[in-house]
Amino acid sequence: MKETTAMDHEKDQAVPGLSNSLLSVKGICKTFGSNAVLKGIDLDLRSGEVIALIGGNGAGKSTLMKIIMGIYQADSGEIYVAGEKTELVNPSVALSKGIYMVPQEPMLFPNMTVEENVLMGFSESSSELKKRLSEKVKELNWNVNLQRKASTLSIAEQQLVEILRGMMREARILILDEPTSALTFDEVQSLFKVIRNFGKKGIGIIYITHRLNEVFEITTHVSIMKDGMITVNGPVSDFTKEDLVNGLLPPNLEKKTEERQEEKAFERGNLDPVLVVDNLSGYGFSHINFSLYPGEILGIAGLVGAGRTELVSTIYGRDQVLSGTVKLSGKDITGLSTRKVLEAGINYVPEDRHYQGLFKISSISANTSSALLNGPKLGRFFLNRKKEDEIAKSYADDFRTKIVGLNDEIGSLSGGNQQKVIIARSLSTSPKVVILDEPTRGIDAAARGDVYNIIHRLKRSGVAVLLVSSDMEEIEELADRAIIMFQGRITGTFSREELTQDRLTSASFGFKGEKEVSE
Amino acid sequence: MKYLNELKKARWLSSFLFLIALFLVTGMVNPDFLTYSNIVTSFNGSVVFTLLAIGIAFVIMTGEIDVSIGAVMGLTATIAGQIAKRNGSILEMLVFAVLIGMLVGAMNGIGVSFFHVPSLIFTLGINGALRGLIYVVSGGKTTENFAGAFTKIGNQVLFAEVTIYLAIIVVIIAVIHLLLTKTKKGKYFIAVGDNPNGATLVGISVMKTKMLAYIICGIFAGVAGVVFASKYGQVNIVAGTGYEMSAIAACVLGGISLSGGLGNILGAAFGAVIMSSVSRMLVFIHLPSNFNNTLTGVMLLIIVVADALVQRHAVESARRKRLLSRTAAFDAKVGGKK
Amino acid sequence: MKSIKGLLKHWEFILLLLFVLEIGIFGVANPAKFFRASSILASVTNYISVCIIALFVTFVMITGGIDIQASALIGLTSICIGVLWSDVGLNIWTAVLLAMLLSTLCGALSGYFIAYCGVQPMVVTLGGSLLYSGLALLISGLSKTPAYQGISGFPAKAANGSFTGFRFLGKGMLFGTIPVPVAIYAVLILLCFVLLHRTKYGRKVFLIGVNPEAAEYSGINSKLIVMSTYILTSIGASIAGVLLTANIDSAKYDLGSTFTLSIITAVVLGGTLSTGGKGSILGTVLASLMICIMRYGLPLCFGIKTQSLDLPIGIMLLIVVIGRELAKNKLILQLFKRRK
Repeated sequence: MKETTAMDHEKDQAVPGLSNSLLSVKGICKTFGSNAVLKGIDLDLRSGEVIALIGGNGAGKSTLMKIIMGIYQADSGEIYVAGEKTELVNPSVALSKGIYMVPQEPMLFPNMTVEENVLMGFSESSSELKKRLSEKVKELNWNVNLQRKASTLSIAEQQLVEILRGMMREARILILDEPTSALTFDEVQSLFKVIRNFGKKGIGIIYITHRLNEVFEITTHVSIMKDGMITVNGPVSDFTKEDLVNGLLPPNLEKKTEERQEEKAFERGNLDPVLVVDNLSGYGFSHINFSLYPGEILGIAGLVGAGRTELVSTIYGRDQVLSGTVKLSGKDITGLSTRKVLEAGINYVPEDRHYQGLFKISSISANTSSALLNGPKLGRFFLNRKKEDEIAKSYADDFRTKIVGLNDEIGSLSGGNQQKVIIARSLSTSPKVVILDEPTRGIDAAARGDVYNIIHRLKRSGVAVLLVSSDMEEIEELADRAIIMFQGRITGTFSREELTQDRLTSASFGFKGEKEVSE
Repeated sequence: MKYLNELKKARWLSSFLFLIALFLVTGMVNPDFLTYSNIVTSFNGSVVFTLLAIGIAFVIMTGEIDVSIGAVMGLTATIAGQIAKRNGSILEMLVFAVLIGMLVGAMNGIGVSFFHVPSLIFTLGINGALRGLIYVVSGGKTTENFAGAFTKIGNQVLFAEVTIYLAIIVVIIAVIHLLLTKTKKGKYFIAVGDNPNGATLVGISVMKTKMLAYIICGIFAGVAGVVFASKYGQVNIVAGTGYEMSAIAACVLGGISLSGGLGNILGAAFGAVIMSSVSRMLVFIHLPSNFNNTLTGVMLLIIVVADALVQRHAVESARRKRLLSRTAAFDAKVGGKK
Repeated sequence: MKSIKGLLKHWEFILLLLFVLEIGIFGVANPAKFFRASSILASVTNYISVCIIALFVTFVMITGGIDIQASALIGLTSICIGVLWSDVGLNIWTAVLLAMLLSTLCGALSGYFIAYCGVQPMVVTLGGSLLYSGLALLISGLSKTPAYQGISGFPAKAANGSFTGFRFLGKGMLFGTIPVPVAIYAVLILLCFVLLHRTKYGRKVFLIGVNPEAAEYSGINSKLIVMSTYILTSIGASIAGVLLTANIDSAKYDLGSTFTLSIITAVVLGGTLSTGGKGSILGTVLASLMICIMRYGLPLCFGIKTQSLDLPIGIMLLIVVIGRELAKNKLILQLFKRRK
């Protein structure tokens, strides 16, 4: 079935000539601060093509797309639209050149109707626009009440509205950023129909995805991005799934595996598990089972949107539990408030440092001690500032956090040092279990090394660590055991011996792990 | 069913229905209330509030606030009064009122959208400055003893007990409503308040839109001052104090969300009528007018709390549905394989 | 040099400089009349309601909220004391306690709507100000004294003209020079300062204002804390109501109804961010006193009429907020330059 689809596309592709290039990107580089995100990207999109752009989190895909949309400007490199060199200085230039991006989180006006949303920002007469709109809706074959409010639409429908916007602007180049991440199976199928139709009409599509199955189902070409470069490129028919998985793996795989063996392996012995999650279901995940032992690092791997953050934040009391139980040292902590869970002995380093972690304009001391405010450690009523500074200082020294003064705003620190402060906060309550959600996202290599050292030390001191990460390398290096989540379920568990990046990668892209969960 | 949905969508309609319900309840207690002349009088009495509410509705739609309108109104009322004292023309007053309104609105707009000062604070400062200015202009005395013609206009009936002001305002509301709902640019105010980033992405200038909203708001407040002077025949130095809060309350009653992006000019108008008619209704149901503020306060609180709870529920259930659909996607796939 | 630059970063220090400058200007303009301790203290007494409530609204605004109902609670407290004492016939102190309790309940109700129902603070306290001022009017209707007149004749004035009992709160003098309201204000300053800057509660207030989400992740019960700030403000408003009633010997339903904007001005001028997370009691106090002195000095030294004082104060507020915004932009610019 899948092969025939790919064949169809090859046929479609043969119809337009080779010269009809829609978009050509040459040598694009982009650096944020000291972090080179794009290191010379070349990409060509021709009429009727659907290019799958795949790659891990942080590979630079969305930066590249934002440059094409004119939201960011490239440091160097050229962009040709329809063969013409173009300076994409802002989104409206990109729009006028027929480029349209459907962002992962649609940017609609929630209180307006579908029609108003699509027609907003046009200057033609409205009767003409409405006529065109109804044509496009028909073309899209979408049965929707145009008078519905955008806030009542599902994410899939919102994405369709975004696609309609692109069609109304006569977009020739459509960028879809993980369009299926929030869609149900049926919705995915109808979206694919629309995409095939676009291909036939000669529209070029850049399709960003994490799901390898979709690559074979819908795209004509595939480009793999890794560390700011396109490493693999070609027609989809040239590749097998295994090729793609191999292409996604980091190059220095062998060496890392050897190094890893040096760390002392975790001995479970006859310890009792400290955290037992039994058949837990909640919003975004279901039927989750695992146990965590003192001194063990359990990796939770998977892609963004697999339900990992929802799982751990529900354990931490941020959302409602639908069914199942969580036990900490034999005590039932299911559905307790965050405050109670914290008291019971779990602490959490959240995924979104800026939104959920940092008190940006507060001091380093205040950031370190914020989780201690409920306990007696800093005084019963009055705040013992000396004690607070002592604690902050000892963690800063311990973690080699580069700070000038404890009273400086944490916003003045680099990302890595901010993260060290947040980790210090999570340890300040002397928890039995620490949940680290993407602990090294967006921080530099040196800080990453420090964070790894901290995690190893935690392990040695008998703290159980739940490590959520999209970085397979990180899981492989740190974890004693890993579970893989895919669309809200555990799809694989790997013991330390079985833990390799290719297994993790294929399992998190939805392929069967070599060892299935035995139910 | 479809009509019911339409109804839910039109938030102004609920405030209209609420107004009718209020009138009916009052009428049930005291049938005298539901006479034509009484209802028209209620509407006639609401013109000042309505003007203020329409003006500030523009600002609130963009997600900002303006607490200087009471002072703007006081200032233009004072100036109109002084012009009236020397028997000047109403045109002259209106020119002054519009110019002052525009000027103050432009200042507010610059402060809020260019300097990014939080709107409450900036307009608060402007409010203080204007209050002082009123004192300077009026010399600290109540402006009164207007030439006759001016105060007559205020109560002149055009037809069937409808005053000139009411007639003009109804026309203005109709025009603005059409402009805001039927033209493309008219929807920019709501769009900016609804999702500023989204607005920028489709090429709408957030700064310009907010600026325009403040200018419109200022003009309406200025004109309201002229109407105020002619209706009441005297302007003391604290005229308009607290009117900004009543205008905001009218907008909230009319279904305009203070976080912006939601609402309709008709709602603001009906809200203003509710605000100004409550005391009249109290008289008819034999309650002292002392109940005025209490009743308005209770109404306002019930409406906003209910609205907030409903909205929160909707957002939360949408999020949960989205998350549940993820796990359902897995089930669909597994089911399909089997 | 460096330390001066460091100090200039502190808003309180700039305020202090401005405050000294203000006193200097007034002092030079009319030294004979201006430097009279009793007049200066009396001017603070006149403005005491705004000063006291601003202290507590600082808490609210640090959490990122706003309270425009406090001024309505002054009138509510006042009229309750009057009616309970003169018409119900309760002991004056019982009346004071009950009135303060009612005001606190009102604050708790609004706080509940804001914290637990997620309604915007501006809207709730707007509704609250209507409701509570309406309630005050209704309660005044229960009295045989007409509402506009105000209930007077509170105890007690000794034969020699000195005040005792309830009136002592508003008119009494400590050590013969310090008005009791000013002394109470001083105590409240100390209490608020300790509560905000020295206790765990105060720290939580700040953290919620900086990032409510992160506060929840740190196990802080932000809803309860947010609600408590509105309760605190209502207590502050009730204290102001008691002092004002005792001071002017009149319990009226609309006492203090025009104070709302002055209170917010004092807090904002004091350096509290309206978006939350930053602010200090010291700043609010300095700003309140600056306004007091301005209201006292301008008419005295420059012959400006009391009623037009809103003009200079409003302009001052505008200059300050724009100046602060520009300074922030400059800092951002500098940061940018350094990076490059």
